[in-house]
Amino acid sequence: MITSPRWSVQLRAVVRKEIRQTVRDRRIMFMLIVAPLLQTVVFGFAVDFQFDHVPTLVVDHDASAQSREHIRRLLADGTLRDAGHTTELGAVQRKLQTGDAAAALVLPEGLARAFAAQRAAEVQVILDGGDPNRAVVVAGAASRYFGEAAESMVKERLAAHGIAPPPLIRATPRIWFNPSLKTPPYMIPGVMTILLVITTTLVTAMGLAREREMGTLEQVLVTPIRPLFLLVGKMTPFLVIGCFDVLLVLTAGVWIFGVPLHGSLALVATGTVLYVLCTLGIGLLISTVSRTQQQAFLAGFLFAMPAILLSGVMTPIRAMPFWLQVVTTFNPVRYYIEVLRAVLLKGAGLVDIWWRLLALLGFGLALLTVASLRFHKRVA
Amino acid sequence: MSELSIEAVHLSRRFGSFLAVDDVSFSAARGEIFGYLGANGAGKSTTIRMLCGLLAPTAGEARVAGFDVKTAPESVKASIGYMSQKFSLYLDLPVRDNLDFFGGAYGLSGPDFAARADEVLRLCDLEHERDAITGSLPGGIRQRLALGCAILHRPAVLFLDEPTAGVDPVSRRHFWRLIRRLAREGTTIFVTTHYLDEAEYCGRIGLMVDGRLVALDTPAALKRRYVPGRVLSVRGRNLASAAASLRSRPGIIAVEPFGAGLHLQVAAENWNADSVAQALASAGAQAVEVESGEPTLEDVFLAVVARPREVRHD
Repeated sequence: MITSPRWSVQLRAVVRKEIRQTVRDRRIMFMLIVAPLLQTVVFGFAVDFQFDHVPTLVVDHDASAQSREHIRRLLADGTLRDAGHTTELGAVQRKLQTGDAAAALVLPEGLARAFAAQRAAEVQVILDGGDPNRAVVVAGAASRYFGEAAESMVKERLAAHGIAPPPLIRATPRIWFNPSLKTPPYMIPGVMTILLVITTTLVTAMGLAREREMGTLEQVLVTPIRPLFLLVGKMTPFLVIGCFDVLLVLTAGVWIFGVPLHGSLALVATGTVLYVLCTLGIGLLISTVSRTQQQAFLAGFLFAMPAILLSGVMTPIRAMPFWLQVVTTFNPVRYYIEVLRAVLLKGAGLVDIWWRLLALLGFGLALLTVASLRFHKRVA
Repeated sequence: MSELSIEAVHLSRRFGSFLAVDDVSFSAARGEIFGYLGANGAGKSTTIRMLCGLLAPTAGEARVAGFDVKTAPESVKASIGYMSQKFSLYLDLPVRDNLDFFGGAYGLSGPDFAARADEVLRLCDLEHERDAITGSLPGGIRQRLALGCAILHRPAVLFLDEPTAGVDPVSRRHFWRLIRRLAREGTTIFVTTHYLDEAEYCGRIGLMVDGRLVALDTPAALKRRYVPGRVLSVRGRNLASAAASLRSRPGIIAVEPFGAGLHLQVAAENWNADSVAQALASAGAQAVEVESGEPTLEDVFLAVVARPREVRHD
């Protein structure tokens, strides 16, 4: 009964076995199903680039009606929060050091008198630069407020003299795609991107390393299964799981965090499949250079960290030095996050992103080819 | 197809500057149990890996089940079963899923396969373990499952690479009953082992030393050739120094430590049990007991390994 080897029977056998093993492994199931949801929620709630209610110390040396009025109006918009009053510089330093306050607003003595005498006055804003983003937000809020205050003082004075105020140029920001500047619509695509690296790259790399470690790989290689079908069969379930994870995170993102769905889901799906080809290819490549699961895990991690940092998920690529920007053009993660943000947030169509999809396809095919050639070489 | 299931002709394999298998030639007939003995690193596993199509030979040729391992490795793989020294099964899956996977890997499916899987479970006495997780089973049962997975597709040739390493004696006996039954039914068995008592089950034995096949024959012929004369097993105290003085006497062919005692190989015309006992006692040994015994394959193995490589016996 030597049945002629039929590739479809073999392929199905590999897929079935892979699914059975995955379903039985609680840790992997956790990694594939629960971890994505946890990540979505954690990233969605915890990562917020918006700052308000920044604790600010008030150091009012003037203690005049005018200085109190300025402080009241500056704090009214909610960006800054009153974190206490003091007139001692030592207290300011302590509070900034302990983190009880992130900024201090120093109004000098004689402020009201200076206004009355029509002399220039200076207000000092002390900032904790430990968190640059927050410092920028506070500085912006303070200078915006005092700029407007100065403008209205000028107008009042001119009006008192019967002179019409001169025309002013005013910039009116109108924010598209994410008008309320919420962080989750920006971060959730990032979560999807990071997640796929973990579920597909790490799981594939470790899966093959485990077979090598256990000796089952050799046992499979003496069967007439062609290595290509073995690889395809091993990757298929994770391709499906990866797409499922994307759907899961996207659903959670839309429902919980109001991520907009402006573009075509078919484009998102296409991008996802192409991207997963890349991450699976990297996983395979890693598995051909690692002997043990531990090595595979470490190698996967060593790939994932820089790949994510150099993708634009966290920080804009334009802010990187030029040579690093060049490096990012070889990073498939970058193209996927660009596709996701363009399609989901801006409703971009195929004409806008086709070359990124093409890049993903190119990387995917190249990685898979190199990985399977290396795999072939190592087993033959 | 000839009646020869395995034919190796001047087979060699080099790893860098290391010649793991050096110009090995032999053949095995259909239904034969062919034993392959040698120390660790002698080239046994490398030979098996070449014959299974896992490793390409550096030189020479081999045909297995009528197919050339170089040009038709896939056909070779479809006609052989292979069981490695580690029982390479999916330990996280139940017994039936392992059978299911390896059956599928050999392209088996449908009701024919289901019937065959049941038959193999019966043959390997695994019917009660069908749903047990493989990793929870003791070594002896896992080993039978590994054998079951290797014979699902009724291979013409079965390669066993130290199949009984680390298995208890009862399971080993059970296992060998199965192997002999498969051989009677026409499967050619190629087996490497460390257990020289097991090697007695083999029809013919090849002995590997440093990558070379230095002896090849039936167990009985090997014993006649390499352990001529009479074998005496000796027990007693202070044997080591007494034996040293005996070594130079005429008619003493070999003195080998064997367990707590000695194995002496002597020319039958010069020596018998009594005269050896006397000689040892006068050389200072105490409480000497001498028994004449049959040469074992262990004697053969020690004789061949100790001997400088010269004999090529094809």
